Amino acid sequence: MSSSRREFLWNIGGGLGGLAVSQMLAHEALSADGVRPRAEFNGGLHHPAKARRVIQLFMTGGASPMDTFDYKPELEKLHGQKLGPDEKPEGFTAMPGAIMKSPFLFKQHGESGRWVSSVFPHQAEVVDEMAFLMAMASKTNVHGPGTYMMNSGFLLPGFPSMGAWISYGLGNLTDELPTFVVLPDAKGLPYNQKGPFSAGFLPAVNQGTVINASGKNPIPDLFAREKYQFATRDAYRDGFELLRKLNAGHAAKTPQDSQLDARIKSYELAARMQLSAHEAFDVSRENESTHQAYGLNEPVTEDFGRRCLLARRLVERGTRLVQVWSGPQGATGNWDNHGSIPKELPPIAKSVD
Amino acid sequence: MRFSLNDQQSNVTKFPQLALAVVFALCLPIGVWAAETATENDAAGLRLFNEQVLPLLKSKCFGCHSHASGEMGGGLTLDSRSGWGEGGEHGPAIVPGKPEESLLIKAVRREDSKLQMPPGENLSAAEIELLTTWIKRGAPDPRITRPVLKHDDDATDWWSLRPLQSPAVPDVALTKQQSGNAIDAFVERRLRDKGITPAPKADRRTLIRRLYLDLHGLSPTPEAVTSFVADSDPQAYEKLMDRLLNSERYGERWARHWLDTVHFADSHGCEHDVFRPNAWRYRDYVIGSFNRDTPWGRFIREQLAADRFFPDEPELTPALGFIAAGPLELSRAGTAPVTFDYLDRDDMVTQTMAAFTSTTANCARCHYHKFDPISQEDYYSLQAVFAGVGKGAIEFDADPQVARERRRLNELLAAAKTGDRATLLAEEHAGVVAKWEEEFGHQPAAWLPLLPTGFVSSDGSTLKLLEDHSILASDVRPEKDTYTITAPSSVTKLTALRLDVLADDSLPLKGPGRQDNGNLHLSEFEAFVVEDGTTERTPLKIKKATADWDQAGWTISHALDGNIGTAWGIYPKVGASHYAVFELDEPATLKPSSQLVVVLKQLHGGGHLIGRAKLYATDAPGASANVLPETVLAAVKVARDQRSDDQQAAIAAHALQIYAEQQLAGLPARAAVYAVSSSYSHATKRASPIAPKVVHVLRRGDIDKPGAVAVPGALSAIASISGRFDLADPNDEASRRAALAEWLASTDNPLTWRSIVNRTWTHHFGRGLCDTPNDFGRMGGVPSHPELLDWLAVWFRDDAKGSLKKLHRLILLSSTWQRASTLPRSTSETSEVSTDQSADGATIDSDNRLLWRMNRRRLDAESYRDSILQISGRIDLTMGGPGIQQFTQSKGAQATPKLDYDAFDWNNPSAARRSIYRVVWRGIADPFMESLDFPDLGLLPSTRGESVSALQALSVFNNDFVLHHSRVLATSLETTQTTIDEQVAQACRLVYLREPRDEERTLLTAYAQKHGLAATCRVLLNSNEFLFVE
Repeated sequence: MSSSRREFLWNIGGGLGGLAVSQMLAHEALSADGVRPRAEFNGGLHHPAKARRVIQLFMTGGASPMDTFDYKPELEKLHGQKLGPDEKPEGFTAMPGAIMKSPFLFKQHGESGRWVSSVFPHQAEVVDEMAFLMAMASKTNVHGPGTYMMNSGFLLPGFPSMGAWISYGLGNLTDELPTFVVLPDAKGLPYNQKGPFSAGFLPAVNQGTVINASGKNPIPDLFAREKYQFATRDAYRDGFELLRKLNAGHAAKTPQDSQLDARIKSYELAARMQLSAHEAFDVSRENESTHQAYGLNEPVTEDFGRRCLLARRLVERGTRLVQVWSGPQGATGNWDNHGSIPKELPPIAKSVD
Repeated sequence: MRFSLNDQQSNVTKFPQLALAVVFALCLPIGVWAAETATENDAAGLRLFNEQVLPLLKSKCFGCHSHASGEMGGGLTLDSRSGWGEGGEHGPAIVPGKPEESLLIKAVRREDSKLQMPPGENLSAAEIELLTTWIKRGAPDPRITRPVLKHDDDATDWWSLRPLQSPAVPDVALTKQQSGNAIDAFVERRLRDKGITPAPKADRRTLIRRLYLDLHGLSPTPEAVTSFVADSDPQAYEKLMDRLLNSERYGERWARHWLDTVHFADSHGCEHDVFRPNAWRYRDYVIGSFNRDTPWGRFIREQLAADRFFPDEPELTPALGFIAAGPLELSRAGTAPVTFDYLDRDDMVTQTMAAFTSTTANCARCHYHKFDPISQEDYYSLQAVFAGVGKGAIEFDADPQVARERRRLNELLAAAKTGDRATLLAEEHAGVVAKWEEEFGHQPAAWLPLLPTGFVSSDGSTLKLLEDHSILASDVRPEKDTYTITAPSSVTKLTALRLDVLADDSLPLKGPGRQDNGNLHLSEFEAFVVEDGTTERTPLKIKKATADWDQAGWTISHALDGNIGTAWGIYPKVGASHYAVFELDEPATLKPSSQLVVVLKQLHGGGHLIGRAKLYATDAPGASANVLPETVLAAVKVARDQRSDDQQAAIAAHALQIYAEQQLAGLPARAAVYAVSSSYSHATKRASPIAPKVVHVLRRGDIDKPGAVAVPGALSAIASISGRFDLADPNDEASRRAALAEWLASTDNPLTWRSIVNRTWTHHFGRGLCDTPNDFGRMGGVPSHPELLDWLAVWFRDDAKGSLKKLHRLILLSSTWQRASTLPRSTSETSEVSTDQSADGATIDSDNRLLWRMNRRRLDAESYRDSILQISGRIDLTMGGPGIQQFTQSKGAQATPKLDYDAFDWNNPSAARRSIYRVVWRGIADPFMESLDFPDLGLLPSTRGESVSALQALSVFNNDFVLHHSRVLATSLETTQTTIDEQVAQACRLVYLREPRDEERTLLTAYAQKHGLAATCRVLLNSNEFLFVE
């Protein structure tokens, strides 16, 4: 759009025409804000991307493979034996003890015959719907670096997380919700605090938006807090109008500048996000059988299930990647479980099963 | 939006491991080796090698086994004689004369299933035969020089590595309005080449706002704007600029840029994101350095080795906070210490090289740098520079005079300990010694035994009171025990207590301990007073303990250190009685009815318990009660003129030790800063000298594959300065850092000077001449004006002598910096622009790389926040001191606390301090500041973008900070202006620094009438005109 056309529109409306200008500029402006799909990346992939959206469930502390899905019959034979002299596990907090077999009963399930331990009776019923990658390895057994590794591929802080890369590389599918959403455990943030959702060296717009699923303002600063009595709904609506007029007046004084246009546009998106977020976060709009399926009616699964359902609602509405975290950082209340696997794994496993 | 696609791409390709699509263009140097023949090699054998064997090795083996390829498969290189001689993980590859024993032959013959080379390709029988013959002849090989550090010419032929030379300033005739300095000549020449007419000079209102925000990060007051606009002095601009440069607000603004670069934060980051209560002293140091205009070379030396370069300026210790600015992985430090060491040093190397030389040395951790001439040896040499530092709260004296006194006293203490006679018998100390002897040397204290009325063991020892008032333990010997002994005081003015541990026939080896070897370990000694009729124990504060004998490493001071992991012992002097005296801080006046309670904690374990104990009290002046070592006791009994030098030295050592300890206790407390020192161990949290750790070149960066030992050094790609340091004593830790500082600050280091002028340019223009200020390598950008960059670098180094303020002046006085950010609406309106040949910069150079206009920039997080504080009249310009916590804090699951930014009360006076004084929690940043692109302070040198998003709009519109200050601003307007119309107009003057236009005035007044003035201020503080600097 040429600057003279905008100038013209601005002038005829005594300012009001500027409103229309900003609407018309909306699409152009967005291309500058770094969240539009980027064809050059899709084209550059070895395999064109099939998945468009991701829900990632992160078991903080690290779910023990040999007590869940990775049946290790050899452990039963070696139970009680000490590690041989050639084994020197790095990074142990204490001297390694004797080898221990899984205290849980393993059975094969489904047509695929996937082994599942007794801690996941419900997931065991759907193993044929799941894909298992049994070849994962880690460069560390320390929680903090491990959590970075899982999220960014690096042991060190400062690198973008997967969600940030996806937001950066593939852009957004909707203007009305954040592209990368994080749903931490209500009991606290994971290891490294907000480090696992960082945009690292990518633009900050790509970092994970931490959603407080149970709070009044799920998205930070979605609405003004009530103690600011002047910030009424009406003041808000009229304030956006006024802001648009002021910004359009300012922009009209200079040739077209995508920086200014993008900021004008960002307030319109903010207004739309306020409307759609309210609907998207309202899990009660789902029917009873869905609530049942997500375990919302049982106290043990209610919290995690609610966040999973929320994750689904968000990806259905265009969020690219949602991370649902089970368990906070710390030595207890998550999947760390090295205090006592027989006592600690079953309750946390039950909360996500 | 400044984040053009190109910027983002360069971000991606800087980290090829992560890039979604990367083409690896490997331009790798080829080793160059010495061609001299060694005499023991026969000429024919050498010809065989050079003509046949070497080409074979090159084509079949070098791909994975040479420095040139950056690969050392299995730790083996075949590009030098010592390479195959030492071999790799499996041992020597070649045994001269013995092909059957040579692993190389076994591998190519594929005799061992685990060792088959080359992979996937069998050598021909003739080729195997050639190798066999060569080895049989003794494997003659003239390559006696290791090809470690040779980068080929192509690799080092890169703009940032070339030596600095000052290009001639272009002879460009400037118009009157464009008249400026050398900067303008360089810029103008490029513009003329392209036929672009630059934008005219910005108007004064724009200039003063730009200048304030650039130099201070603060919006100017309307009064300052009015006065500058009306100033008819031709020097008005220059005077304003100098005033701003000389204001301390300048240091607060520019320190923030540096703190970004060195990823400084007030907490560790990572899993255990623990607060660093002393880190702020480095922040204050940086602010002060910018305000003092510390020359750049000195700034480098101070931050890397202030302790070495400026030992008499201990107040510079906080400069060493530079090395410790980055994150600390506390969790890994505890569980994987070797990995921790390497990765912790990686952060120091990455930061130092990025900050000062704009180089990505860290890319050579696992392999030869894929794009730049940086070898793994270079990288690990840099690690070796930092191999002796420990991070932690480093104590120092801020007052140099106190520091000198402390050093003197510590030297005296050391002399007393080592028996350095020259010092002990020096004339200058004779007075102190004589005075001690006069007061305390002759009068042994009178000790009155305590008669215990109660004595209990916590863990089952049987305690029995003997006739001499001592207590004997017998029967069961628990692992640990605590004896609690109660007795009425034997004196009314208590100055000291004494504990005798007595030998007894009933004890192992006669004791005095109950351990099988006769030893005991007293973990803690505690004493209390209990008034008659009460049960409340009032602790007696003990100043000092002395003993007649200390077991090595188990001194009596351990019984007072509050640490039950340490204790007093008497081994190997068992079978004899010993005693210890505990001197009170202040004499305690006791009523006859008061009871003394003495608690003897013996918690070391292993039955290290006291066998027989006896307690005494005295009212003698404190110091006289102290135990005199046997030698001193004997010496004082000899008349002064008959003493030997040994005897006099023993007395002097004792007297001077007491004197030095007393004087030290009276010195002002030391300050601490989170920094590094060569005598601080992160593991023990205690200062004790540590030798630099050995750093290995890790094959493929693998901790389990240590290669050669790395020697301290830096990059070898700069021909004019040595990349390896010639240190007199490699164990002198600080000399390593000092050598790196010298390497960096060398006038021959082209990277350093280019780096800092480019950084400075970046902050003045929003974009550098090279637009990747942290990467001058092949993955970074190339300069838009390379000659200008070099000219500036040389000028800054030689003419400005490293003065940043001079560099600022040069830049700010240029026409280039003073241009308007836009062309006027219609070019014909401006007479300066000639229409016939002018080209439209917006068309030819829309990205403004050629600087035909000023870049428009959004306020960064701090400038936005601080300007609002300024406009609302609230700003508190107090400088320095501990950080301001703008959040509430509660206990977290582990070491990291929970922070709540929403719960902070913005009425709190500390809220009005400038943003640089905020506590920045590395892993839990302030969401509001983040929404305005406050950077992630993780591993990498931080750079700030200027993002725009709906979430940012929500934050700026709804965040408590903005709403609170909208209200503060409104309240102040309401008290100074009577009508809404005037209130609105004044708001425009404060925020926009101009009178409102008529239509704005109408709109704003209407809105204010409907929704109030606070709501109106909120809109103004969200508007583009406020958020952008023209």
